Amino acid sequence: MSMEKGVSIGDFNVKEQTQWCPGCGDFAIVAALKGALAELGIKPHQTVIASGIGCSGKSPHYINTYGFEGLHGRALPLASGIKLANHKLTVIAMGGDGDGYGIGAGHFVHIMRRNYDITYIVHNNQIYGLTTGQASPTTQLNMKTKSTPYGVIELPFNPLSLAILGGATFVARAFAGDLPHTKEIIKAAIKHKGFALVDVLQPCVTFNKLNTYEYFRERCYKLEDHDKTDAKKALEKALEEVESGYKKLPIGIFYQVERETYEEKLPQLAKEALVEKKLETDISRALEKLM
Amino acid sequence: MKYIFKIGGQAGAGIMSAGRLLILCFSRAGYNVLGYPEYPSLIRGGHNAVQVKVSEGEVRAPEPKHDMLIALNQDAITFHLPDLKEEGVVVYDEHLKCDKGYGVPFSKIAMEEGDVQMKNTVALGSALALVNYPFEIFENVLRDHFGGRKGEEVAERNIRAARRGYEYVKEKGWKHREIKPLSDKRKVIITGNQSIALGAIKAGMKFYAAYPMTPASSILHYLAKVERDFDIIVKQTEDEIAAINYALGASFAGVRSMVGTSGGGFSLMVETLGLAGLSETPLVVVVAQRVGPSTGMPTWTEQGDLRFVLHASQGEFPRAVLAPGDVKEAFLLSAEAHNIAEKYQMPVILLTDKFLSESVFSTEAFKEEVKLERGEVVRETAPQEGRWKRYAITESGISPRIFPGTPHGMHVATSYEHDESGFSSESFVMRVKQVDKRARKVEKLLEETPGPKVYGEGEIALITWGSTKLPSLEALEILKEKGKSAKVIHNTHIYPFNKKAFLEALGDATPIVVENNSTAQFAGYLREQCLIAPKAILRYDGRPFFAENIAEGVERIMKGEEIAVVKEQRDVEYYYPYRFR
Repeated sequence: MSMEKGVSIGDFNVKEQTQWCPGCGDFAIVAALKGALAELGIKPHQTVIASGIGCSGKSPHYINTYGFEGLHGRALPLASGIKLANHKLTVIAMGGDGDGYGIGAGHFVHIMRRNYDITYIVHNNQIYGLTTGQASPTTQLNMKTKSTPYGVIELPFNPLSLAILGGATFVARAFAGDLPHTKEIIKAAIKHKGFALVDVLQPCVTFNKLNTYEYFRERCYKLEDHDKTDAKKALEKALEEVESGYKKLPIGIFYQVERETYEEKLPQLAKEALVEKKLETDISRALEKLM
Repeated sequence: MKYIFKIGGQAGAGIMSAGRLLILCFSRAGYNVLGYPEYPSLIRGGHNAVQVKVSEGEVRAPEPKHDMLIALNQDAITFHLPDLKEEGVVVYDEHLKCDKGYGVPFSKIAMEEGDVQMKNTVALGSALALVNYPFEIFENVLRDHFGGRKGEEVAERNIRAARRGYEYVKEKGWKHREIKPLSDKRKVIITGNQSIALGAIKAGMKFYAAYPMTPASSILHYLAKVERDFDIIVKQTEDEIAAINYALGASFAGVRSMVGTSGGGFSLMVETLGLAGLSETPLVVVVAQRVGPSTGMPTWTEQGDLRFVLHASQGEFPRAVLAPGDVKEAFLLSAEAHNIAEKYQMPVILLTDKFLSESVFSTEAFKEEVKLERGEVVRETAPQEGRWKRYAITESGISPRIFPGTPHGMHVATSYEHDESGFSSESFVMRVKQVDKRARKVEKLLEETPGPKVYGEGEIALITWGSTKLPSLEALEILKEKGKSAKVIHNTHIYPFNKKAFLEALGDATPIVVENNSTAQFAGYLREQCLIAPKAILRYDGRPFFAENIAEGVERIMKGEEIAVVKEQRDVEYYYPYRFR
């Protein structure tokens, strides 16, 4: 592990104990994020993690950075406000599949158009965990859950294809069972200048008996020789899970392109961050214009 | 000298901009002016009207009767002729049917000058000629209005059209009273919403987020226009939930932030209002009331959301509610809201209404100093054991804030109940400590909360909040003429409420609350806060009070009515005018 700029993974540790089920994929995601931040030399105080509500939403408590555990589904607008106020910070948004693809789906669609330099990590366990096991937007067809005792009859949401078509400039998927790979993906996402989606397949060991570690190990494979600047090819890969009848689940970076960020388009942010501007303001000219 | 113009025409015919031009003609010549717009929630097909009140004295509220009706369509005559003063005058587009006044070929002249849309400028030219007002003033107004934005050619074309309207009336020798310019002293003409926007800017607000909603949208429009002049960020978001969460995030990161909406949008923001309360994140929320519930009557005024903003969101948490009654209060309270929000780390609601938000008032330029109080903010800190204690239990209830980016200040703000460092907690002991800590902030805020403003003195107390201040002050004059002594007790700081100061102001006068709602919400609030039982004068048809309504209401109450509801005797409808033809 690199120690460049004097940041170590230990700097991100907290003394509080995590409150996730033993074996939960969330442990690996938080560990991967800590490792990625340390290896990129990003200091804890320069990082803010905004999260929603759910098991995933608790993540900011287990990483020693600034954090805001907001409302269910609202991690993205919260993170956006933080980024616009101080674009010099590294801003990470975190949420689950219910949080980000269900109740917060409207924000997901629009943040991609804007291309803020924000990394969005989705803990996708295909179930509502904290509310004890109802169907989520990514729960597979026919799966029985507490809220769907006869099986799910609606199609699962495909976040990657939506992101590729919706304007995200970095679209990736990782598997929480492969920590080193997840860390590398998160590192690439943070390094990416623009909105980066990292959808992490994250087994819920308590409420999802279908999408287990074993299930993913059998199906996940890493993308190789893939042209990630080609949206059509990226889309093809994003649809592979559906077309293969969920037999093949590619992981890795599906899509990555450069596009000017929202922050870069604002002349107000060319010099200093919004938070650095002085409060005292002269309004006399504005009043003259109203005469 | 007091003169009331009413301009009416089809939606889309430039009635609103005609109102603005007319206001400028008089505000640039030393007059006090009020422009009160009435329009339906549609872009074409309905009816629009503006009342422009010009006076040497104070102007505060719209009037029931006008001196001159400027009619651009038949509906304007049907709707507004009955409200013309007996000695009043009508100037109308020649082809319309009208038994009274003067027909001028507005449309014909406009068409001959190249654009029928200019009939509103022709009409204004004719109107100004009738009162023998110097054309040069109008010419300069037109040049400033069109010149910058639409180019010189458009300005000159409008001036030619206006001059023809003006000369047509002069040649006919038509006259109606006379308005002489008083001085060349220009006044600021400003809406309540612009005043709120400028108050916030003056207070160092750097981030504004909103989703369009009448009658709050013009805050967004104004701020978006001046965004780069003031080096701030204005963001239109996908919905109101996003808007308030953006603002909350920006505030957490150390930037003074504000959102603006009306009742429907505020309904969507309510969950996050509680988050601001629990996470002790400063936030200013402008709620511009309109007729509710649901879509209601979107472009008309009401004060039906008082109880809503007082109690919005689940659970109990500190908040402040301020309600401006005029443009100066809008400016000052908007600035103060930012100070309260940061000093006490709580959401502050600035409650306005369509009448104040969208009407145009002339005023002296705001020269008041605005102090900037950011409260307790720690700019640097030493390394410590564990996380920064963002929610430290303090005597004042205020725990110092620290902004992301500050070394060693790492902590989590959270929507959960939490311990001193922000870690989610369900400890029974910590829960009570944190609830009490937050509650102490309200007690502290109350210590510096001013009481009401009192105008006049008398045995009758007209109690106002928000824009009912304006017609109530005018009603004092009518009551005085009728030999009744009355005062206005105007409340700006609604919550927390300085009841001691209120009761002192009331003395042993008879309390009569004046408000634009049907359930006398503020009267109920006073009953709860002060254990008094005020009477009420109410109006909830979508229009603001006329001073006459209030004076009549006082008489009705003196005769024994508990609640005097104002009802229009003659109906008009702007949304679907055809119904009344």
